[in-house]
Parts: sequence; C-alpha cells; structure tokens
Amino acid sequence: MMPSFYQLLKKIIQTGIGKARLFMAAGGLGIAMILLLIAIQAHTDFDQLLHNQRNANESADFLVINKKITNAMMGQNAKSEFTPAEIADLKQQPFTEAFGFITSNQYKVTAAAPGELHFYTDMFFESVPDSFIDVKNDEWKWTPADNTIPIILPNDFLNLYNFGFALSQDLPQISQETVKALPMKVTISQGLITQEFTGRIVGFSDRISSFLVPGSFMDWANSKFGSGQAAAPSRVIIKTKDPSNPLLSKYLEEKGYTTNQDKIKYSKTKLIVQMIVSVIGFFGLVLLAFALVVFSMFIQLVIASCKKEIQLLVTLGTAPRQLQRYLMRQFVPLYITIGIVALLLVAALQWFASAKLATHDMFISQWLSVGTACAALLVIVLVYIVNRSSVSRYINAIS
Amino acid sequence: MTVILPSWTFSFGKSSILGHHFKNTSYMQIQLENLVPVPLRDKIMQRSSDIWNRQVTFTPGGFTKIKAPSGTGKTTLVHYLYHIRTDYTGQVLVNGKTWDSYSRDAIAGMRQEQVSVIFQDLRVFEQLTALENIELKRVMNAAPYCTAEKVKEMAARLNVTHVLNQSGKTLSYGERQRIAIIRALVQPFQWLIMDEPFSHLDEENAQRAALLIAEECKARNAGFILTDLDNDNRFVYDTHYNL
Repeated sequence: MMPSFYQLLKKIIQTGIGKARLFMAAGGLGIAMILLLIAIQAHTDFDQLLHNQRNANESADFLVINKKITNAMMGQNAKSEFTPAEIADLKQQPFTEAFGFITSNQYKVTAAAPGELHFYTDMFFESVPDSFIDVKNDEWKWTPADNTIPIILPNDFLNLYNFGFALSQDLPQISQETVKALPMKVTISQGLITQEFTGRIVGFSDRISSFLVPGSFMDWANSKFGSGQAAAPSRVIIKTKDPSNPLLSKYLEEKGYTTNQDKIKYSKTKLIVQMIVSVIGFFGLVLLAFALVVFSMFIQLVIASCKKEIQLLVTLGTAPRQLQRYLMRQFVPLYITIGIVALLLVAALQWFASAKLATHDMFISQWLSVGTACAALLVIVLVYIVNRSSVSRYINAIS
Repeated sequence: MTVILPSWTFSFGKSSILGHHFKNTSYMQIQLENLVPVPLRDKIMQRSSDIWNRQVTFTPGGFTKIKAPSGTGKTTLVHYLYHIRTDYTGQVLVNGKTWDSYSRDAIAGMRQEQVSVIFQDLRVFEQLTALENIELKRVMNAAPYCTAEKVKEMAARLNVTHVLNQSGKTLSYGERQRIAIIRALVQPFQWLIMDEPFSHLDEENAQRAALLIAEECKARNAGFILTDLDNDNRFVYDTHYNL
C-alpha cells in the first residue's frame, strides 16, 4: 500500500521537536478551559438556585416600593410622594418589567362589622392594576351599579389579628372563610356627602400589604368624593424578573427607596458569587491567552525546524494551503481531546456538586448547561482560528 | 495500461487549486522581457546573449535548448523561470502576467499542473526513500496524473528499480538524478524546465532518460526548456539559444 500525501508529509515535517512546549500549551489550554467552564457553569447554577428560591415564594417577583420615611420628612406627606420624573426613571430601569401605581383614597372610609360584633374602624383603601394582584377571583370587579365592594386583605393582617390581637385579648380567632362570609358596612364620605356600601372580603394577598379595592371603584369614588385631581402616588409596585439583581438593590439604596428587604436579601450573596465567578473566569481568559501564545511558539518552532523541507515542498508545488491543512490536522485532535476532557471533568464536578447540594435542600441540575458546552466549543474554535493563522503566517514567512 | 490524456484536459477539468487564469489559455506562455540578473549585470552587459536583456517568447510545445557556458547564469535562469529567485531586473511573464501577480496557492497549482522542473542540485528528500520521493510528487495532486505502476515502469526504463526502497541519503548522484527525472514526469505539465538533467549520467543512461523525457513531453503535447553546457543531439530541438 502506497503512503498518502499526508503520511509522506509526516515523515518530512517532524512535529515531535517541541514536545515540551506542546505539553505546556496543551496543559495551559486544558486548565484555562476548565476554569472558564467552571465560571460559566457556576454562574448558571447560582441562577438556578435563586430561581428555585423564587419559585418557592412567588411574590418575590413583585416589589412594592416607597420612599423611606425619615424624621426630617415627618409631617410633610408630600415628601413621600413620587414625582413624575422619579416615576419615569424607575420605569426605564432594566430590572423593571412592569410598573403600576398604588392609588390611595381621597375620602374618608369607615368600616363596621355587622350585627352584634360592635366593631367599627376608620380605614383606607388602595388600588393597583389588576395584573399585579395575586388573588384571582370572579368577584373581583365593580361597576357603579353595584352596592357591594370586593376587598382584598393582606394575609399578614389576618395573621396579626389571629395570633397577636385575638389571643392576647381573648377574642375568637377567625378563619379566612369566616372573614369572607362576613359582610361589612362600609361608609365613605367627604364632608357632608356620604354613601354606604357592603364590603365583602374576596381574598387575601401575600404580595401587597394593603386594603385593596378594584381600580374601577377607586376611580369612581375618587372622582365623586375626592378633590377630582389625581394625587401623586407615594407607593408604586414593580414587577421584576430577578429581585436579587444587585442593580436593583443599588438603585433603591441610592434613591432612598425601600421595599420588603426580605425579597432582595439574595442580592448581596449574588454580588459576591458574581465576583468570585468573574475572577475565576478572568484567570481562565488570561491562561487561555498564554496557552495561545505558547501554541504559537510551538508552531513557530516546528516550522522553523523544518524550514528547508517546507521550502523544498513548496518548490515542488505543495500549496501553502496543503501544508496548513496538514499541520492543523496534527493539532485538531489535540484540541478536541482537551475540550472533551475539560468538559468531562467539569461535568463530574457538576454532578458531584449537585449531589452534595441536594443534601442541603438546594437543587441544581446534575448536567452541564448548554452554555457551558457552547463555551467549550467556542474556545476550541477560537484556538483553531488563532493557530491556523499562526501556521499560515509562519509558512508564508519562509516560503 | 496507462491512459494518457492531453495535458490541457487535466488543467481545465480537475484542479481546484488551479486558478481560473488559465481557462482561456490552452497553453501556458512564458516570455522574458529584458531579463537581467542583478548579480551578473556587469558581466552580461559586456557580451551578447540570446536570452539576457532581450524579448524572448518560448514557443509552446517546442523543445528549446539553451547552451550556456559555466558562469553565464544558467542555473539562475532556471530559477527565474520557475520563480524561486527574483533578484532580476526586467520581467518573466507567465500568460502575460508577472510571477509576482500570482498568489502562492495559484503558483503551487501551476507547479502541480502546468510546469515541472529538474534541478541541477536534484533536491531529493533524504528522509524519504527514492520511491517515496517520487510518490510525494505523484500524490500531491488530489487526483494523480499517472499510476504507481507507471512509476515502476519508468524506474525500470532508467535502471533504478533496485534503489527504489533505498533511503534518499544513500543514493548516488546518478541515482538521485534519475529519481529526480521520474519525479518531474509523474505530474501533468505543459512546460518541463531542466537544468543539466544528464550531468551525472553515463551515455547509455542519458540516452534512456532523454527518450523517456521526449515521450512524456509528446504524450502531454508539452514543451521543454533545457539548459546545458555543451551541444548535444539527444533531442530534436526546435529552438537553440546561447545564453
């Protein structure tokens, strides 16, 4: 059997000469690849952890934001209102997916329990756009013809009563069902104008700590009983994909806004993890750059050591393209092996980490993310392109 | 049996390396315009030459002999024609264009398909066997022009069958020269450029080699440019030049 052209080239162009450099380059590439893949995978995993956390507490998607009440502001209610410019700024932040006002009542509200309960209180109403409400209920609607107002109470309110007030005052605890069944007499008034309604609790919200009525009722009542002018909101609600986004907490802090701090508590952790991941990724990139340089030096050495042979090959009619293809054919299996080994190592690490974390009730995928695999492919392609260009540069330099 | 097609069929049809420049030219044309080697300038200007500092067009398909005494730049001319040296003034035109205007890959394509060479210094790879040296040239083309059997046949005609498996390092000059001749004949070409191709051969082997070269050129409708020190009658030359 006659040898092929490449087999003959193999006898002429010895690639064994720079073995030490080749091992260094290959080792560097391997470590660089592993670091990069770990950085990317860790990033994905942490996102996944947060995502799971978020699923456990769905209300974290929605944040009610208000200005911090400071001693200097007390007594000046206007200072806690959002100006149109502040609202526009908040709306255009990258983390704001949806934005809604919380509209307050501009009239007096009193509520009285029916019958023998002798319960009477001043209270307030607020309304938010329906899409921000976590209680889905057919009764949640109001037209001016209705005499019954549907009301949503915060879950916390009922808990405060049942476990704080009722127990200490020796009053009966009330179930959600009972509350829903109790019609309340709601009186709204402004000066001499008074109107009575029946209030009916239709649900309990975990998301918004307020007494909510439908927007249609609020608008109607504000125009009839209020000043007629839309008051500036002092609380707004936003929908956000990721309440742990460090940008969000930084923004709130800078502007002096507050929200339910519990919902953004992961942002610090995330910041730290992002930092560590970035540092690992950065070292990976630096090492990759070094590996590319060493590869390039190795290629230069091989070509320089076979300078005479390559020159004769070109003289005899070998196209530089053929030589380039031959040399790359020597290297590509190495890249692919390094890529596969790095991927396998990181996959094993991921599997191990997933098992370890699962014992602490933290769940991440057992498998590598698609992004990690793509990154490995990308690194291989990058190394291929850089080396190919070194090969063609050095060959052209001597032929 | 070996089927030998006219060379232009090959240069048209199969090569991807071969640029499109040649498609409209049935023959590769080589012209010299006032070519003068820079190192020999003074020497050349003192005497007359049929080649240096003239307009020369080599007749395609013709057998051209260039007689050149030592020191007149014989090997230099061959290197200029084959474009491995460029220290000259004037121009070498290939199909009307200077060598420099062709890309490296286009030149490689021409060396694989259109122009072949036998160097005076033979240039055999010492790390390959004689047969591998020939084979390297044969399989350099993705679709080899001649078969491995044809190589054996040519080796037999030049009496080098017994050295085919010897390392290039151990070959004598005469053997190297015959291997270099066979190597030049395994590819398609329209021009064969030879620099003292029989310098290391005895009369009988020189005759055999000349016969083989003439046959192969005829089979391809190809011409050659041969440089040598003296007059000879080994070929029926169409053109004679004195360098």
